[in-house]
Amino acid sequence: MGLLSQLARGLVRGADRLSPFTSKRGPRSFNKGRGAKKLGVLTSNKKFLLVKEMVPEFIVPDLTGFKLRPYVSYRAPEGSEPPATAKQLFDELVAPRIEKDVKDGTFDPDNLEKYGFEPTQEGKLFQLFPKNYVR
Amino acid sequence: MRLSALLSAARPRLPLGYRHGTWPPDSAAARLRNPPGQRRRKVFVEPIAEDDWKVFWGDTVQVLTGKDAGKQGRVTQVVRPRNWVVVEGLNTHYRYINRTAKYSGTYIASEAPLLLNQISLVDPEDRKPTEVEWRYTEEGERVRVSLRSGRILPVPPQPRRDGIVPENWIDGPKDTSVEDALAKTYKPSLKTFEEEIMDAMGIVETRRAKKSYWY
Repeated sequence: MGLLSQLARGLVRGADRLSPFTSKRGPRSFNKGRGAKKLGVLTSNKKFLLVKEMVPEFIVPDLTGFKLRPYVSYRAPEGSEPPATAKQLFDELVAPRIEKDVKDGTFDPDNLEKYGFEPTQEGKLFQLFPKNYVR
Repeated sequence: MRLSALLSAARPRLPLGYRHGTWPPDSAAARLRNPPGQRRRKVFVEPIAEDDWKVFWGDTVQVLTGKDAGKQGRVTQVVRPRNWVVVEGLNTHYRYINRTAKYSGTYIASEAPLLLNQISLVDPEDRKPTEVEWRYTEEGERVRVSLRSGRILPVPPQPRRDGIVPENWIDGPKDTSVEDALAKTYKPSLKTFEEEIMDAMGIVETRRAKKSYWY
């Protein structure tokens, strides 16, 4: 379409140099991948060993009775909520518990793990920093 | 040069001598009246700056000259390149539509466009024609002000370019209803999304990834 519209204008000649040269163009012998990652290792006798951990597995919860759908009605008003911050999470979840403990007199500054404090990210499956999950 | 050609292909520019009418520029009527290579006499139009334009779709205006002089009506169409305004039910002539070989057609009244100097905006409370100017309010908002009384003429809500009227929209099977979209079901928690799903589905993962370094 790009070349045709330019030819219709009548001044431009030649092949389409701007669009990417994918495996859909070129002769039959032209073999090029589309960027899929290798999910294993090629051994010395050219056999491919699949690593099961590298194969992505989609974990989808049961969606029966789920009310949200792909599109939103045009009748819905525009607008958005401000993005959530760490301070908001702290104020909603942790601050009330700390206040209650301070009032009861059982607040221990050395034992903050019971409010959700994590001194290191070692040993966690989903580490927050450096982030080791894809989101 | 090629990049500009690509960009202009995305939003087609109208040719130089395009004759505007009351039809949309991408319709069969436009293609019929503006075949490629047509050269017509130029229509001279009083140049009005883009931000000086005062009459919008949905405004009430009074017609000053012509058969319906003195009558007020709503603006149903604005054609800026020709300074035209079509007022509902006023300045009408009659014509036949839907003619076939057997049927002579329906006789309807069709409105002719009016130029901006045959039109005057109307004060909202007086309902008399006034001169209008663009001015800024205390808050910095740009509004139309009637010169005679100083009242503000609010710009009526403009229709969407795709022609959808949200009030009359009927939800399809893939549309979330308004109540479901606005319902707040988020429960804040200190777990990440992935950890919550693992708890909900009862997935237990005791293996840990080997430590690796990006440097």
